[in-house]
Amino acid sequence: MSLVSMTVAAEGAAAQTQRAASSGWARLRRPALGLVLPITLAVVWEYVVRMGWASGRLAPPPSAIFAEFVDLARIGDLQRNTLVTLARVAAGFGIGVSAGTIVGAAAGYSPLVRRLLDPSLQALRAIPSIAWVPLFVLWLGIYEGSKVTLIAVGVFFPVYLGLLGAIQSVDRKLVEVGRAFRLSGFAMVRRILLPAVMPAYVISLRSGLGLGWMFVVAAELLGASEGLGYLLTDGEQLGKPAEIIAAIVAFAVVGKTTDWLIALAAAPLLRWEDVVRQD
Amino acid sequence: MLVLDRVSKTYPNGVHALGGVSIEVGPGEIVAVIGGSGCGKSTLLRAISGLDPASDGTVVLDGEPITAPHEKIGIIFQEPRLLPWLKVAGNVGFGLSDRPKAERDRRVALALRRVGLSDKAGGWPRELSGGQAQRVAIARALVPRPEVLLLDEPFSALDAFTRTDLQDHLLDLWADFKPTLILVTHDVDEAIVLADRVMVMRPRPGRIFEQIAVDLPRPRDRQSAAFDFVKRRVLAALDRSLDRAVTTPEGETKAEAGAALWW
Repeated sequence: MSLVSMTVAAEGAAAQTQRAASSGWARLRRPALGLVLPITLAVVWEYVVRMGWASGRLAPPPSAIFAEFVDLARIGDLQRNTLVTLARVAAGFGIGVSAGTIVGAAAGYSPLVRRLLDPSLQALRAIPSIAWVPLFVLWLGIYEGSKVTLIAVGVFFPVYLGLLGAIQSVDRKLVEVGRAFRLSGFAMVRRILLPAVMPAYVISLRSGLGLGWMFVVAAELLGASEGLGYLLTDGEQLGKPAEIIAAIVAFAVVGKTTDWLIALAAAPLLRWEDVVRQD
Repeated sequence: MLVLDRVSKTYPNGVHALGGVSIEVGPGEIVAVIGGSGCGKSTLLRAISGLDPASDGTVVLDGEPITAPHEKIGIIFQEPRLLPWLKVAGNVGFGLSDRPKAERDRRVALALRRVGLSDKAGGWPRELSGGQAQRVAIARALVPRPEVLLLDEPFSALDAFTRTDLQDHLLDLWADFKPTLILVTHDVDEAIVLADRVMVMRPRPGRIFEQIAVDLPRPRDRQSAAFDFVKRRVLAALDRSLDRAVTTPEGETKAEAGAALWW
């Protein structure tokens, strides 16, 4: 190898390393940017309480919340209650997504089913979720059944509406391509409709999951002996704001993680999308 | 042989789009269909393709009535209509899903090479230019080797240079296995460059007004006197096809000046 080619190779390798380092930094910088505001607020509040400018009794400083977190984790309360809530959301999400997908697909695909079901479902959608609670408790008891059903109801509507709208707005011209290639009913669904509705369906799943997390709080606040919602009630009744905030933070972390998992799982299916990518 | 016998189309809203079109198109023949807007050119193509069957009359290909999309008939639309979730190679091989993978891969690679897009096989449709996307659409329609290929204004959305380039390229691809081509176009030059026969349609309801044979050797020189002669014949037929006939008090009919706007 000549001196010139070695120099060029070395420069190329250096540039590559630099590019890798800068892209690694860019990958870290994006989520880090979102942490600037909460961390700044936390640091300021910690400072305000430590300086004695505020008591921090009703709004404890981050150090007290962290200590409560560690304490709850040490005795196992945090893990147990998080798992209970997670299990309720998972069950409700599973049922809501299954029902929303089946009914949404049927209503989207068949005008007859749509005309039959959609008006009633739209009327039911207008009912505030909390209004169902007494009925669900009467029908299903105070335990898991009513809570999971309430979450499922919350998840059902965004999934149903998202899928119905997505199927109805599939580009007619692409369906015609399928027809020109003599696709049968199932092949048309698999090769044209399913990929076409996937972006809107993923958004509806994420919306449904968000509502699932909202509804689990409502369900657990109304009567539960375990779960993150129970920690909220417990903190309120015992006058422990740090426990309440620790439970809220746990909700945020677990909720965000589950949403991220859906986005991550769906990403390979949506690589084709021609959208503005801000990265 | 493709035979259309008194093909008519009336839409549910009462619009009588086609009124008894009867034509015969031989194997390997290239026919251009030209006419004013709304004269039923695309309706005719859709009836032949089976996408929108005729309300009356028959479309028969090699003795077989066509009432739904058929494996022997391919179609290229005005827009490429590539499926955005499939890569370029996936789009080209869309009509070969029932073939073994090795055969599919081989034919897709060959088709992409023929349209000069081998390097784009692994790319997404969003990464293609308009001309490249239409080439992929052409490859997709040709790869199952249809006996009849229908083209519905396939180059109308492209710039003049790309259009000319693709017209030449289409002839090149046609020469591979010489399918019957039926091309709907608004472009008289395009019709004469490509076709063996130009059919001029007349509207309300759509019907064949005049057929003009294009007996020019290929490749055709757009600047030649012979080309210009055929072009003037087609333009004159178009003008006549769209003139509003006015009946005089004496019962005589004549064309109304300025009514011949076929574009």
